[in-house]
Amino acid sequence: MTAPVAQRRVRISRVAGRFLVFDIDDVVYIRRHHGICAVLTGTMPQNPTQNLFLGLPVELQAEEAQLLVDKGVGYVADELSEHLSLLTSADDTARKAYLQHLKQLRRNAQLAFEEEKANIQAKHQAKRKVAAKPAKAAEGEPSSSSTKPATDSESTSLPDTTCVVPKSPPKESLPAITPTTSSALISVTPSAAATEPPVPSSSPSYLLYRFLNSRGYYFTPGLRFGGDWSVYPGDPFRYHAHYLANYYGWNEEIPMLDLVTSGRLGTAVKKGFLFGAQKPSPAGGEVSDTPKQDSANQGGEVRVFCIEWAGM
Amino acid sequence: MPLDDDDNPALVAPLAPSSSGSGAGGSSVDAAAQGSPDEGLTAEDLLEDEGAASQDFRLFRKQPGVSAQTIRKGEKDFESHGTRAQADALEQSRAAMHEVLSYTRVHAGSQKNVLRGWYFPDWWRDYEEVVEEAGDGEVEGKEKRPYGHIRDRVVVLEGSSVASKNLGRAVTGQAKDRPARGRDWLLPEEALYLVERGSMDLWWPLKSLEELFPPGTPPETPAGKGLVGEDDEEIDEYELGIPLSLQAAYALLIGNEGDRGKISLQKFQVYSNLKRCGYNVLRAPPRSKSLFSTQPTSLWQWFTNLLTPSPKPVVYPPYGPLILPGLYRSYAPIYRRIALLPRHKPDPNPTFPPVPIEPFAVHFHVWKASQKWTKLRHPPPDFYLAVVDAQESAPPTLREVDALLLSTPYSPYIPPQNNNPQKQQQMLQQGRYLYARLKHGRRHVLVAVVDHGVINYMRFAEAAFGEDGVLWTRFDENVAAAAAGKAGGKKGGGRNNGRGGKSGGKGRGRR
Repeated sequence: MTAPVAQRRVRISRVAGRFLVFDIDDVVYIRRHHGICAVLTGTMPQNPTQNLFLGLPVELQAEEAQLLVDKGVGYVADELSEHLSLLTSADDTARKAYLQHLKQLRRNAQLAFEEEKANIQAKHQAKRKVAAKPAKAAEGEPSSSSTKPATDSESTSLPDTTCVVPKSPPKESLPAITPTTSSALISVTPSAAATEPPVPSSSPSYLLYRFLNSRGYYFTPGLRFGGDWSVYPGDPFRYHAHYLANYYGWNEEIPMLDLVTSGRLGTAVKKGFLFGAQKPSPAGGEVSDTPKQDSANQGGEVRVFCIEWAGM
Repeated sequence: MPLDDDDNPALVAPLAPSSSGSGAGGSSVDAAAQGSPDEGLTAEDLLEDEGAASQDFRLFRKQPGVSAQTIRKGEKDFESHGTRAQADALEQSRAAMHEVLSYTRVHAGSQKNVLRGWYFPDWWRDYEEVVEEAGDGEVEGKEKRPYGHIRDRVVVLEGSSVASKNLGRAVTGQAKDRPARGRDWLLPEEALYLVERGSMDLWWPLKSLEELFPPGTPPETPAGKGLVGEDDEEIDEYELGIPLSLQAAYALLIGNEGDRGKISLQKFQVYSNLKRCGYNVLRAPPRSKSLFSTQPTSLWQWFTNLLTPSPKPVVYPPYGPLILPGLYRSYAPIYRRIALLPRHKPDPNPTFPPVPIEPFAVHFHVWKASQKWTKLRHPPPDFYLAVVDAQESAPPTLREVDALLLSTPYSPYIPPQNNNPQKQQQMLQQGRYLYARLKHGRRHVLVAVVDHGVINYMRFAEAAFGEDGVLWTRFDENVAAAAAGKAGGKKGGGRNNGRGGKSGGKGRGRR
């Protein structure tokens, strides 16, 4: 595929066999350009007691991780071994650089805090001024009040300047910071050690996933509606899921009971029950066999069906 | 994706932060924020990362009132209809998500107020035997401290905080000359939860525990006090260790099922989900007999059991109707005679409870939020919870559910407090609270099913239809009422509503 202007390499952290993304820019990037929204799983530090909207990290399904690897926009990194090797290695250049970066962050945070404080003070003063003005306007004639605000603003502006100036040397204690990613510590390039693929490229789940993803569908885990996936016609921020999807092997027998249960359940929650599989490519003349363009990528044609409960 | 074209300008936006980055704040705020970096930083600093410095102001600002509404505004649409309005709404959501999640955890306040944890994964590795001893001690004396999972505790807290009221555990019974004596040690899930919610800074130590927390220092002293002078503390701090990122914390603390000093991602997700909801959560102690020996059959109980006549087994003639012709004054003997199939009878004290089969085993004990709860002193748990992965496990078999239920204590339904206890007792005997009792079951356990971060809680209960769900006592009531001249409305019946209970099928014998 053609590389966009700013080609990102999304770091997919493999932690105990699970796939996580920690960098918010990566998260937004794959959501925008690769149709992967995945699941936000972390506690949000700004608001740690709510469960409605969660924070980083994002947990990818194995199929999603595999897709990013296949497209060449992501790489899987074994976080534990990389971290341990860097943290325990004798060579401390990486550590030093990381600490330097951290110190910079802390300085920035310190500045941000001071700004915030100054802003709040300024706002308070402005409020006080506003509150003072109408009181005075109401109390006397305009001629007398015109002189008063002038002196008022002068007196308030004085402490304003004096309190900003001494704050400029932020020497004593910088706020501590917990960065979200270790990007300043670990190498950004994929490590040489080839890790095994998240999911085999020939697994039926991956084939169906890749097909639907290429058509612009978004996926979330299907647990909410009792399927393998919930499938959205676009970003779940905007759209409701249209399908609850299950994958099967091409030659796998689908139990009738599955069709009935998932079909009924899907209809009950206003979703179609979708299932599909990729036809195994016959050796050789597969291109002539399947004229459709969908099967451009290796393998045969993907057939997808949708079932709705007739409810007669 | 149809929306790509519209997305592009916004993608560029974060790269030029001075203009777009601070759109959330007021305009006057922004102007001030941009003017400021010159004051504190040298020119070199500014050159180093020109863009990043001013963007950072956004990263550290805690936005008030972050909620789901910030991200998802308005109703969802059915499908894309290619309008600008729709694209804008989507873009707004994405931008809001980007902005909200760009926040960096920062621990404001003076150095002493920052809660710091140090990662020492192997300190308690060999503690095993002593733990077992403590576990056994718990069985005998109730006032003993609950099981501590000491071997799994990998993060030592520097100083104490509000968090250590509910989390962590100081290991008692240590020799006086042991380092870090009396300090709280955190389990991996506790540490990661604190890091994630921005309450703790996790550090990778470069010095040994003995050096950081020399023996004999009170638990309040910060790390490395005995090691270094107090001058130029910032340099010295980084000599002691390295602050870790959230990513590193996940890498170090999340592990495979059964790894010592780690927790699986699914369990951690359930743990933090419950903590966010305000529940108190502790790891379940390893299986022991204690659960069952807490309520031993006393001699008196045994005696009364002996005296209370157990109903005589019904003897049927070799042929003929089940209900012999005769005079029946109540429904009770009739129903007793037609109950051919044995019913499940929950056993409060099973002698040989089956061993739970992973993953259907109790992993967490959960308590509702309460003022009185502390990590050392707490009532029996409100819920017993097992964590299961949706992709790797199938619905439990009867054997699995049975073992899982039997690993929780017997807890029959307690009716709501009534101001007239006598009347309440009467109501209980008359079969009131029938459905509440059936639903509650004699034992119950929660199973959290996790599918890639999406959690679903299910409740399994051991319903006792033969004990709680008996309806014919009401018929007798009606008969008595009718005999007294009142018209007894025929109530009851209802569908077999027992869900998931193991005796759902067996209970049909009631009719």
